Amino acid sequence: MTALLQIAARSAWNRRGTLALVMLSIALATALLLGLERLRSDIRGSFMQSVSGTDLIVGARTGPVQLMLYAVFRVGSATHHITMDSVRAVAAHRAVAWTVPITLGDSHRGHPVLGTTADYFRHFAYGDRQPLVLAQGRAFAGTLDGLYEAVLGAEVADRLGYRLGQHIALSHGMVAGPGKHADHADHADHADKPFTVVGVLARTGTPVDRTVHVSLQAIEAIHLDWAGGAPLPGLAIAPEHARKFDLEPKQVTAVLVGLKNRVAVFNVQRYVADHAAEPLLAVLPGVALDELWAVVGLGERALLAISGLVALVSLASLVAVVLAGLNERRRELAVLRAVGAGPRHLLALLATEGVLVTLAGALLGAVAAALAVLAAAPWVQQRLGITLQATVPTPEQWALFGAVLVAGMLASLVPGWRAYRLSLADGLSPRT
Amino acid sequence: MISIRDLQYAWPGAAPCLEIDRLDIAAGRTVFLHGPSGCGKSTLLGLMAGVLVARQGRVSLLGQDWAALRGGARDARRAEHVGVIFQQFNLLPYVSVLDNVLLPCRFSPARARRCTDGPVAAARALLQHVALPPGLWPRRADALSVGQQQRVAAARALIGRPELVIADEPTSALDAALRDDFMRLLLDECRTGGSTLVFVSHDDRLAAHFDERLSLPTLNRAAS
Repeated sequence: MTALLQIAARSAWNRRGTLALVMLSIALATALLLGLERLRSDIRGSFMQSVSGTDLIVGARTGPVQLMLYAVFRVGSATHHITMDSVRAVAAHRAVAWTVPITLGDSHRGHPVLGTTADYFRHFAYGDRQPLVLAQGRAFAGTLDGLYEAVLGAEVADRLGYRLGQHIALSHGMVAGPGKHADHADHADHADKPFTVVGVLARTGTPVDRTVHVSLQAIEAIHLDWAGGAPLPGLAIAPEHARKFDLEPKQVTAVLVGLKNRVAVFNVQRYVADHAAEPLLAVLPGVALDELWAVVGLGERALLAISGLVALVSLASLVAVVLAGLNERRRELAVLRAVGAGPRHLLALLATEGVLVTLAGALLGAVAAALAVLAAAPWVQQRLGITLQATVPTPEQWALFGAVLVAGMLASLVPGWRAYRLSLADGLSPRT
Repeated sequence: MISIRDLQYAWPGAAPCLEIDRLDIAAGRTVFLHGPSGCGKSTLLGLMAGVLVARQGRVSLLGQDWAALRGGARDARRAEHVGVIFQQFNLLPYVSVLDNVLLPCRFSPARARRCTDGPVAAARALLQHVALPPGLWPRRADALSVGQQQRVAAARALIGRPELVIADEPTSALDAALRDDFMRLLLDECRTGGSTLVFVSHDDRLAAHFDERLSLPTLNRAAS
């Protein structure tokens, strides 16, 4: 068998040009497969870790997925708000440890603006219960003196090049995509009440990075001279003058709820659902995220299926190349038969060659995928907010790698079997 | 050495191409087997070497019926007892001349053991006997001329002194001068090593070199 392996290696080396191309094709397919799986896994990881430590999210009655979309991912908008009375009623439940009301609806250069309380920075967590950390500056004060203070998500600060102390203006509604100029200071709807950047959060890889955070009172202040989603004609309240009004919000978009004990989660959920004053909905973030992923995950599964097909095509090309060369190798096989190699040896010879080419291609592909992830990780983090893990392969990646190898081994049996049949039919005289 | 009784052989889906009632070849003999193209010469050689197996009748080498052996045992026995020279394309092009000669010893430890000073020394001695310059030994086999390749093929068939050497029209690609040189070399080496030689050709002029002359169309009832 050792002799046969040596011959297999030399024979393969003799056809190295063709086999290198096949190997490259398998390597590319494997890299695509593993790279996409890494991306899929990390997107899912980023997605599922968008919020943690929050036991319930309460909003006006709508679908759980829709509530998650606007409360966590800042996508879309709430059709109804909930009153602060309802928020207080939820907070009064004996199982509730904390509540953080949030209000959405405004934006800054395409980035959503979140109105909330200073408690948000204490209680909101992501990933594995990681708290928000300020990379620069401090949280907004939440007082009248610090009414027009803003804390930026890492991506907002990076993309727009903002520094502490810089003034920014907000726009009403989501008027343009990130980075667009629609609410540049000159055109912003709320340009009369500029905000000062007092803090920048460290990167989280979640929608927090793309968010501008201000106080609930600030949201009230910039809308004092607005009604029905439009400025009131002839009414302009100066920023300093706004401080004299009652800025306590009457309504918010949703409220994040933390419980003293998670065991009570269904109790509180029922309590919220039975709230008589207005129809409310409480969703468990993990469950809603799973539902949401079932919808948005379709695309990534399609991508994975396509890359699987690419891998299959590459393996088919391996079979085609080895089969095409087989006719020319019939004399070589006859020589081997004459010196004592059996048909099974020849099957093993061809199959071994296929397996080695597949193995080399798959390994090359795995290394290429790892290097590509390593190289692309900063850009992907910067541009897409997805943290790619250039670490040990995931179990799914191992499984895909194994699947490529097994498929390659099975594919290699095809030319091996053909060689076996030919050697039996040819005897000592290949009829080429 | 070789004994054939009541042989009938047919390729799958075809009428029998070989029907031989009786054929015996004694050890150490050089036999010239001739016949026109398509009369079953190569098929008969395949049966003698145990590459093909007769479904009817008996083909024995050194008293052992090939059909009684399983596939792996047949291959091992062939590696140990049979050397083969083809008409052309005898060598593996991607290994050196020396490694081509050593091939049978890689598949048969028994044949390697028969090389008194070891397989490499035996291969070198054989290459010297067939007058191949040492400078060519480490070169790839496809770097040699056709005549040189046939001499290497003869050395490969003879290494480890196999009891039977089968040559399937090995001179058909050679010109007259090379052919005579090759014949002389092959017969000398077989006689020196005590190997039985079954030489197939349709060129009757070569018959004079051999101890025996067999006409396959005469032996083969399927050809009549």
